[in-house]
Amino acid sequence: MIFPGILYYAVFKYVPLMGSVIAIQDFKILKGIWNSPWVGLDNFQFIFSYRDFYVVLRNTAIIAFYKLVFGFPAPILLALLFNEIRLMLVKRFVQSLFYLPHFLSWVVVGGIVFEVLSSQGIVNVIRGWFGYEPVLFMQTEKYFRTIVVLSGIWKGVGWGTIIYLAAIAGVNPNLYEAAVVDGANRFKQTLHITLPTMLPTVVVLFLLDIGNFLELGFDQIYNLLTPMTYSVGDIIETYVYRAGVLQGQYSVTTAIGLFQSVIGFALLWAFNRLARKTEQGLW
Amino acid sequence: MKPSTGEKVFQAFNYAFMLAASATMVFPLLQLLAVSFSSPEAADSKKVFLLPVEFTMGTWEHVLRNEALWTSFGVTVFIAVVGTFLSVLFSLLTAYPLSRQEFLLRKPIMLGIVITMIFNAPMIPYFLTVRELGLMNSIWVLIVPGLIGTFNMIVIRTFLMGIPSELDDASRIDGCNDFGTLFRIHLPLSKPVIATVSLFYAVGYWNTFTQAVLFIRDQTKWPLQMRLRTYLQSPEELASVNMFLGDYDFNTTTLKAATILFATIPIVLVYPFLQKYFVKGSLLGSLKG
Repeated sequence: MIFPGILYYAVFKYVPLMGSVIAIQDFKILKGIWNSPWVGLDNFQFIFSYRDFYVVLRNTAIIAFYKLVFGFPAPILLALLFNEIRLMLVKRFVQSLFYLPHFLSWVVVGGIVFEVLSSQGIVNVIRGWFGYEPVLFMQTEKYFRTIVVLSGIWKGVGWGTIIYLAAIAGVNPNLYEAAVVDGANRFKQTLHITLPTMLPTVVVLFLLDIGNFLELGFDQIYNLLTPMTYSVGDIIETYVYRAGVLQGQYSVTTAIGLFQSVIGFALLWAFNRLARKTEQGLW
Repeated sequence: MKPSTGEKVFQAFNYAFMLAASATMVFPLLQLLAVSFSSPEAADSKKVFLLPVEFTMGTWEHVLRNEALWTSFGVTVFIAVVGTFLSVLFSLLTAYPLSRQEFLLRKPIMLGIVITMIFNAPMIPYFLTVRELGLMNSIWVLIVPGLIGTFNMIVIRTFLMGIPSELDDASRIDGCNDFGTLFRIHLPLSKPVIATVSLFYAVGYWNTFTQAVLFIRDQTKWPLQMRLRTYLQSPEELASVNMFLGDYDFNTTTLKAATILFATIPIVLVYPFLQKYFVKGSLLGSLKG
């Protein structure tokens, strides 16, 4: 019964993982993986001596960092704010609206972002009321990363709260009663009861996030990128797609992908050690 | 205890903020809807907010006559229906043995599967593997390589683990084999979780995009999102008429708005009714022993 499942994971997950060996080959599609010559670390040497690689790596790292600093805490904060809404009807209504964008594809969200930020879009209309000139946000380099982070938050923040809300719901109500007796106001209760109970969840999600630190999601960037913003927005995944899938430089792009995974795993390992000192880690 | 002034101010601020922020979640879609029913002049003059200006059906008539769009719609409906069925079936077949205590290989197999969640298959070897299998340009490439979503499979497994093994014993005594036990005993009991997971899969298939970017060059097999992306990139192609020759009751702005909605409406329509299932399901995905 489990055989088709095992076959699926073997073929579509493990074979590609093993296939990463072409990073140390000069892989030619006609010779296949068995007959392509082995070249050791040549491909890695090539990427590290290649200027474009640093541009792409820098873009990826900067956006990843912003996403971690602004994107990761956003659902935690929103969950705490949800928790303060006392009217159940309002709470449920607001939550439903917040979850919606999670179900839209990045093509649709990308389309929406382009419309909202276009020269006739709502943002420029509002700027117009205050007498500002319209700005072409999507075609201007300096706004690109902000747009990536904000659109990511817009799409994911509501859905991201669910797991934190579950953690909040697990708090023993006696703790709050005891805190009230001791004279703690709502803010103090949040700070000293709600947040500490959420901490294990936060740590686990942080570790899972950091393990994919450099994997920003091909869909999002690909649907927001324009040729005008390549210099700041071209990331590892979009680059690998162009150079690998479209231009056939399989070995070099696999080496880049491998580099990306290794960084992710190293970060996961380091932060897991750190987490184990105070809380529980992933392992 | 009476709330202090500070708390009252915070509450007022919180309600205002949450209502405003949640409004931004639907406002763009509502505005696109208004634009898609407005005249081209109005759409380009920054006058349309939530209600159509100079109401016209011209845009929608043009979009709904677009055959390429309907072809892609057909592809997406096909993968959403067939793909969801196959995905649920194979997730169930995988999850059931992994949920039974007496299955001795349960732990090592589960570990092997969880590892694939942390180490994603890298793009290029994945691309080459799928291509070697001859799936390039086949509609099945949109289904088979993503057949089992690990998260969804774990959701089912977590639910099945809650079904007592005494039921398995009883059904075996009554002469059921493993498949009989799964489909006659476990399946009827796990209808709610199957519903949830089906919805997750269906939304995933509806939004299929990256698979098509990687593997499908043949335009007649493009799913809807891929078609939409192309139209957003080159709206002239969507218009398919020369806008400068003649007077039309649509333009690229209104056409783009309508096409985005065309690719979204099914999700938005079912969303209010199904939302609670999604939320429950997303919590079942947490891993247990």
